[in-house]
Amino acid sequence: MEKYEKLEKVGEGTYGKVYKAKDKATGQLVALKKTRLEMDEEGVPPTALREVSLLQMLSQSLYIVRLLCVEHVDSKEGKPVLYLVFEYLDTDLKKFIDSHRKGPSPRPLAPSMVQSFLYQLCKGVAHCHSHGVLHRDLKPQNLLLDKERGILKIADLGLGRAFTVPLKSYTHEIVTLWYRAPEVLLGSTHYSTGVDMWSVGCIFAEMVRRQALFPGDSEFQQLLHIFRLLGTPTDKQWPGVNALRDWHVYPQWQPQNLARAVPALGPDGVDLLEKMLKYDPAERISAKAALDHPYFDSLDKSQF
Amino acid sequence: MEFDLENPLTISHDIHSDTLTSMFSLESDHMPSEIYFQTVQARDFDISIRREAIASISQLCCNYDNLLQYLAVNYLDRFLSCQGMLQPKPWLIKLLAISCVSLAAKMKKADFSLADVQGDGRIIFDTQTIQRMEVLILGALKWRMRSITPFSFISFFNSLFKLEDPPLLQALKARAAQIIFKSQKDVELLGFKPSIIAASALLSASHELFPMQYPCFKKALSNCSYVNKENMLQCYSAMQDIVADGFDSVLEMVSSSVTAANVLDHNFSSSAESGTTTVTGMTPLRLEKDMKRRKISEYCKDHRVQISQIQNC
Repeated sequence: MEKYEKLEKVGEGTYGKVYKAKDKATGQLVALKKTRLEMDEEGVPPTALREVSLLQMLSQSLYIVRLLCVEHVDSKEGKPVLYLVFEYLDTDLKKFIDSHRKGPSPRPLAPSMVQSFLYQLCKGVAHCHSHGVLHRDLKPQNLLLDKERGILKIADLGLGRAFTVPLKSYTHEIVTLWYRAPEVLLGSTHYSTGVDMWSVGCIFAEMVRRQALFPGDSEFQQLLHIFRLLGTPTDKQWPGVNALRDWHVYPQWQPQNLARAVPALGPDGVDLLEKMLKYDPAERISAKAALDHPYFDSLDKSQF
Repeated sequence: MEFDLENPLTISHDIHSDTLTSMFSLESDHMPSEIYFQTVQARDFDISIRREAIASISQLCCNYDNLLQYLAVNYLDRFLSCQGMLQPKPWLIKLLAISCVSLAAKMKKADFSLADVQGDGRIIFDTQTIQRMEVLILGALKWRMRSITPFSFISFFNSLFKLEDPPLLQALKARAAQIIFKSQKDVELLGFKPSIIAASALLSASHELFPMQYPCFKKALSNCSYVNKENMLQCYSAMQDIVADGFDSVLEMVSSSVTAANVLDHNFSSSAESGTTTVTGMTPLRLEKDMKRRKISEYCKDHRVQISQIQNC
């Protein structure tokens, strides 16, 4: 690790601390993520090997934060530590939205910027899904931005067992539920690509509103937030919902007009958002289909 | 999550068109460098180290599916390519071989245990040494362990042939796979991209199995926008020595009036006459070889009959 000069702690990733650092030889800024890699008697654990190599492959996309290399260090206690070295981006979507809500000059995000970020997000998600990988924890903090170039990249891919999205992060910070799909909240075990599209929908709305669409502080509250806006789901609307593990009897709310929750968004945008927030995961729009939605017709796609 | 050589870029079963484009654009990251190819070709000394390491890998993999060996040798070549050749110390070559196989087995979720190979009595490494070597290899390969190999392209190229009969496709695939396995050992072919090896192997296989269809297969591959036609033909011709070597027996059997079946019948009957269960007039090894030949020749006869079923293109 002498290769890098640690500059500052930039966050607590799902798996551990993240540092901004500089490659001493090239001057390149990187994000160092420390993970704990438990060596067993068979050497590098097979799951870590398969997952990191998958991450390595996925990060070839422009819309995924690039994994530059993996450093393996024996710590002082003799425990081997694995550092993932990622490209460094100066901000994330959460900070970016915050800066438009609070601070010296609160202002909405430009509609063309929302459109461009959402398009890049769908590109990245489509890339993951085409490789059979679910992100499972998409949220504004995990979307890094290059403000100068207007680029958005997905970070913190949770891949599988070795890197499963925990309920509590490494530092016991509660993992946010705001972007979690209803099927996950209701205890479905066979969820699929729809879980990411739900999160994309929530993030889309948040960019337009500059505040979270469903800010629940417990799984139950999270569901109530969703139901109050979209109506309590019925078995007709979402076949099998009553049979999900954590389904209870909920107050019966009628669906509200979604456009009222995102007043700054035009009809095409509302239509796309509605398709991302379908209750039945099978009906939810796919990332690939979203890219062709009329909402993006006015976007210059040649730049991507 | 396990890694499938035929489908390296995805862990789902449906192959996307984007995935195909990425495979062709990324394949060069998964092969040894040009310089390696030149070094290996220029210096006999290096070849012997590579050969020794491969021999060691095949020995370790002998009870597993061939793809495990293929993957391990891919790691070996890529490692040697960026680390430079090793000192010709037998223990070092052995350590490298074990570590490549161990990594390949982990990627493929093969049931392979270091403890099993530790017990072969000659050189014993402690697990820490192997771990260190594994980490060294991972670093050199930049953790790009989901190698894109010729096997990754077989299904795609096969789809260009519009062969409708599944057994014919299987036959073509199986023979192409044999050729790919053999090609990996040949240093002459080290410089070709995985997709080019795959295309040439299929071309060779089609030439053997369906000579009538060969021209249209060749046309289909040459017209494929991902394939550099000149490279393919160059590779194809370089491949012919290896191919001829393996297929002689098959051709011989097909043209010969005495079939392997007759030979076997004869030998079995003679053993029956002598009243013992031992097979006479033929060593077990020879017998096994002939049984294999018999299978191949029958398989060829079958497939030659079915040639008419191939769609004309």
